[in-house]
Amino acid sequence: MAALKLEEWLARFATDGRYRGNATSVKLIPAQEGAFAPYPEWVHPDLRAVLQRRGIDKLYSHQAHALELVRQGRDVVIVTPTASGKTLCYNLPVLQRILERPQTRALYLFPTKALANDQMHEVHGLIADLGCDIKTFTYDGDTPDDARQAIRRQGHVVVTNPDMLHAGILPHHTKWQKLFSNLAFVVVDELHVYRGVFGSHLTNVFRRLGRICRFYGSSPVFICCSATVANPKEHAENLLEREVELIDKSGAPRASKTFILYNPPVVNRELGIRQSALAPARAMATDLIENRIQTIVFATSRLNVEVLTKYLKDSFRERVPKGLGMVAGYRGGYLPNLRRQIEQGLRERSILGVVSTNALELGIDIGELEACIMAGYPGSIASTWQQAGRAGRRTGHSLAVLIARSNPMDQFVVEHPDFFFTRSPEHCRVNPDNLLILLHHVKSAAFELPFEDGERFGREDLVEILSYLEEKGVLHRVEGRWHWSAESYPADEVSLRTVNPENVVVVDTTETGNHRVIAEVDWDSAFTTVHDEAIYMVESRQYHVDKLDLDRKKAYVHEVDVDYYTDAMTYTNVRVLDEFGTMTRERVIVEHGEVQVVRKVVGYKKIKFYTGENVGYGDVNLPQKEMHTTSYWFTIPWHHLDTLGLGREEVIDGLAGLAYCLHHIAAMLVMADIRDLDRCIGDKSGQWFVRYGDDLRRITMAPEASVKVMENAFDPTVFIFDAYPGGIGFSELLFSKHDLMLSSAASLIGSCPCEHGCPMCVGPVLEVGPRAKDASLMILGLVGRP
Amino acid sequence: MSFRDRLERITGDTRGARPDTEVRPGIGELRKRIEEIMSRRGGAAHAQRPEVLRPRTTLEEAVGGEEVENSQGRFFSVQSVFGPSARHGHALIGELAELDGELAALLAAENSICGCSSGDALFIDTETTGLAGGTGTFPFLVGLGWFEGGAFVVRQLFARDFSEERAMLVHLEELATSRRFLISFNGKAFDMNLIGSRFILNRLEDRVTCMPHLDLLFPSRRLLGHRLVDARLATIERDVLGVRRTDDVPGNEIPSRYLAWLKRRDGACVSDVFAHNRLDVVSMASLLKHLSGLLASAHTQLRLCEGDVLAAGRLLRDRGLTREAMTLFTRAADSADRCVRREARVSLSLIHKRSGRWAEAARIWEALLDEDPLDVFAACELAKYLEHRVRDHRRAMGVISRVIHAGGEMKPHVRRDLEHRLKRLQEKAHAASQDDDREPDMLQGHSGP
Repeated sequence: MAALKLEEWLARFATDGRYRGNATSVKLIPAQEGAFAPYPEWVHPDLRAVLQRRGIDKLYSHQAHALELVRQGRDVVIVTPTASGKTLCYNLPVLQRILERPQTRALYLFPTKALANDQMHEVHGLIADLGCDIKTFTYDGDTPDDARQAIRRQGHVVVTNPDMLHAGILPHHTKWQKLFSNLAFVVVDELHVYRGVFGSHLTNVFRRLGRICRFYGSSPVFICCSATVANPKEHAENLLEREVELIDKSGAPRASKTFILYNPPVVNRELGIRQSALAPARAMATDLIENRIQTIVFATSRLNVEVLTKYLKDSFRERVPKGLGMVAGYRGGYLPNLRRQIEQGLRERSILGVVSTNALELGIDIGELEACIMAGYPGSIASTWQQAGRAGRRTGHSLAVLIARSNPMDQFVVEHPDFFFTRSPEHCRVNPDNLLILLHHVKSAAFELPFEDGERFGREDLVEILSYLEEKGVLHRVEGRWHWSAESYPADEVSLRTVNPENVVVVDTTETGNHRVIAEVDWDSAFTTVHDEAIYMVESRQYHVDKLDLDRKKAYVHEVDVDYYTDAMTYTNVRVLDEFGTMTRERVIVEHGEVQVVRKVVGYKKIKFYTGENVGYGDVNLPQKEMHTTSYWFTIPWHHLDTLGLGREEVIDGLAGLAYCLHHIAAMLVMADIRDLDRCIGDKSGQWFVRYGDDLRRITMAPEASVKVMENAFDPTVFIFDAYPGGIGFSELLFSKHDLMLSSAASLIGSCPCEHGCPMCVGPVLEVGPRAKDASLMILGLVGRP
Repeated sequence: MSFRDRLERITGDTRGARPDTEVRPGIGELRKRIEEIMSRRGGAAHAQRPEVLRPRTTLEEAVGGEEVENSQGRFFSVQSVFGPSARHGHALIGELAELDGELAALLAAENSICGCSSGDALFIDTETTGLAGGTGTFPFLVGLGWFEGGAFVVRQLFARDFSEERAMLVHLEELATSRRFLISFNGKAFDMNLIGSRFILNRLEDRVTCMPHLDLLFPSRRLLGHRLVDARLATIERDVLGVRRTDDVPGNEIPSRYLAWLKRRDGACVSDVFAHNRLDVVSMASLLKHLSGLLASAHTQLRLCEGDVLAAGRLLRDRGLTREAMTLFTRAADSADRCVRREARVSLSLIHKRSGRWAEAARIWEALLDEDPLDVFAACELAKYLEHRVRDHRRAMGVISRVIHAGGEMKPHVRRDLEHRLKRLQEKAHAASQDDDREPDMLQGHSGP
């Protein structure tokens, strides 16, 4: 059988019964001509020669635009597709300036070490061809101590990550005097990655960087690149706290691409379970590779990478005995050498198929692949486009397939091609003035340079924060300056990426005298997964938790063999403290503001394996957790709900289902992990909450008074709140997108093929009840605008 | 609402803020954790408590000294003079004053110190608000020491507050630049980094940290490390210099003492720190004398620890002073300590070997084997010598086979090497014997049986 070309393969796909019916959208993205511009006059002839030798005879229009703005000292954010030559937009001005003024320094920030290394090699290559004495280094946790001094003094271009800037560079800025005194450019690539908690921290790191630069008398130009999101300019301006020019019209030519959104068939209508995304991924990838169409498959976890790689290798072992080396897995954890081999194999086309985690999403040069299959939505539309961009660079048709899994985000995306292809709904949000985050960075900043009276840092009242810290004994004010006066190194106290760096260690005590640590659980999950008497599972072994010691941050367990697992029952209740904004829709009051959230694990259920039978209950006595954060919520008065003719429990189930759905949609809008947000149904006073009892759901008072069932006085409210103390800036956006949230929910639930609710729409029936789906649709009909 | 209230609200610490809610256990747990994080590595709180009731002592009362004023402001300075007859551990101050620039240069591996004399050296040691390093670490006390006449002067510069740092640094700079080199203990990694940082932060030109610098930590490790549990100055004082400290403030408590001073302005908080720092500075002078003495022992007949002599020999050898090194190795070669004796002999034999004094080297190897028939090094060296120089393969074989069959325990790879060597020697001896046999009728070219 002669191998099919990609176009032929696609033609066959269109008629192939196996696939056709499951494609929710097949979109041809047409080729686009390039728009070009000549090199500006001022580009150094050597630099131009080096670039021309690499085949860059002229610039793309967006590159020329960026160069001009940067030349004028303007800060820019460049938002153009993958492979549109973004790196040139910063490498050229940086090298140009170093050629003009050899003492010039530039700082490059990448979110990962792998990207930093890759970019370092690219700059290195340019410099080698230039044949001049420009030094570029990566500086991160792996940099050997003896190399560090040379890098600090001599590195013209220092490539690092925000964490290192925060904890390793800024607190030692005097060692970097040369860099900071001559810092002309700060390059921030993958700007969209810095959102939520990470972005809120980074804004503060930039505030600190700004102070240090002012101290040394430099004022660098920021050159940022971002994937496509709904608000790139706003986001860049929020992160940098200065005006930023947006460049988003790509002049790069683009080859045509077919983009398929694929929803695997429903295999269990009752439970709304679809076929696993891995199955069609495997079938399509095998088919493509057999036709010698070079393919990359993205899987969502390391485990899935291994599973899919094995499947594909097995397929070829059966059919193409000599083709074993054609397929490779690729993920973090592979040795660098092996990774380099695979990358090279891809460039040389000796490897025709690679299965990867998002490790290959960004940057790394693997040549021009023809097809990309995403087995599962990568978590954001921006990432999806970046992964799809790994197939097809400049010429020739390419293919991208997104295969949805059974969860609301995946389902929403494949069922709403319009959002996906035309306007990204994704917003990057930061809240750098979150008090906890701000406080950390005020401390770090004071460590770096004493604050002076009248100085500003963030939008809060700095003097008040400084006074607070003085009272805590970490700052000391004298002659109008606030000095760090503690022994500690504040930058080590906070991680930029995680909400709470503290963990609970799980200790297996099965063998006396040979206790060993078997796992770590983050602080917040510890309450629900390793409470006393819980069954904790690692690698399908069961452990009984004998004692959770919160003070020592340890959970002591021993191995058991039982036929049940435990599921913690928590209650969450939310009380409104302050309303920042209110609007009235037809039958609903929509608000956002500050709330108090109290969460408590009250007990657990023992659930029998396979049958899901409830075989017992137990109490848990753990401290309740309380925090204040920001929330978006809406309230539906009872007298409207009464008109639906539903029982009280059905209403509550419907609201619970709706909240489940809105929670997922909200996470998508703000590009957050599902755990960065949380939801609750209650009333605004925080007195009532939904209790999931043995068999039914009731609205009751706080748990001590669980007998008292809710009276009519209560108007149910759905809260979607930031799961980070102080809030991270999501709520205001959700408030402003209320209509979109509701219409998206109506469409997601309405189009779901399940019968009574499933994890793809309102949540599992066992949790939300058999009437949740209908009830939530009725409620949406009442308050939503379909 | 105040920052504190809002922070407390976020972190859930509502104690007292909301009278309508009873205080439940677990409330404010995040707040507690924040506090924990803040106080981590602190220790300040409990260090202060017992002092609360103590009457306030002024700085002058607690440590003596006076305020000094210069172009950049004021700071506090305490000067102590140790006369020639004052005792510091085993040594008299008067004895310490004869500083030999050449020896100091050898210790530092820094030629520019060569021509210096006692008056050119400035000892330096700082006390800081933290040990983590970074720009937020503040050297609040700079102890300086120098010789003047036969006496040793310690001047301690103290910033009574952060605002006095500039004046203090300027004074330090004036003092330092009137000398030719610095002597510290661990100053290269710590004090100089810190001081350099402070000059930059105060926008002052730094002419101090670039001065020639003898960091006593490195030669101390080399010369004394073999008999110390660690290379801390306090350990060296105790085990080498004979200095006994009483009521010394532990190093990790020093930052909190200063922070307590900042709050309470009670001289009693820091008087121990001054004493500690003063002792450190004097001990450095004593240590320098001791280390110099070790290097100079080629020319003196002082009774010294033979392990130190051996280590000094090695240092001299590495600095290219072979003759002096040999003298020290020779002294250590008769040590009662078996390890020292052997190391010294081995080193000596290698010097002989390198200079082609084969007979002397062989005598040492033989002596080593006499003492320990299992000495693989000596056996191999002797065998090599016999094989290549004397060309006596049979004797060489004898040496190797004796060590193999001496019956001692041996690492497998060592035994393998020896056996390989023996086999090679046997082959060579065999071939040689055939050569011997063949010689008369070589022209016939037939091969032997």
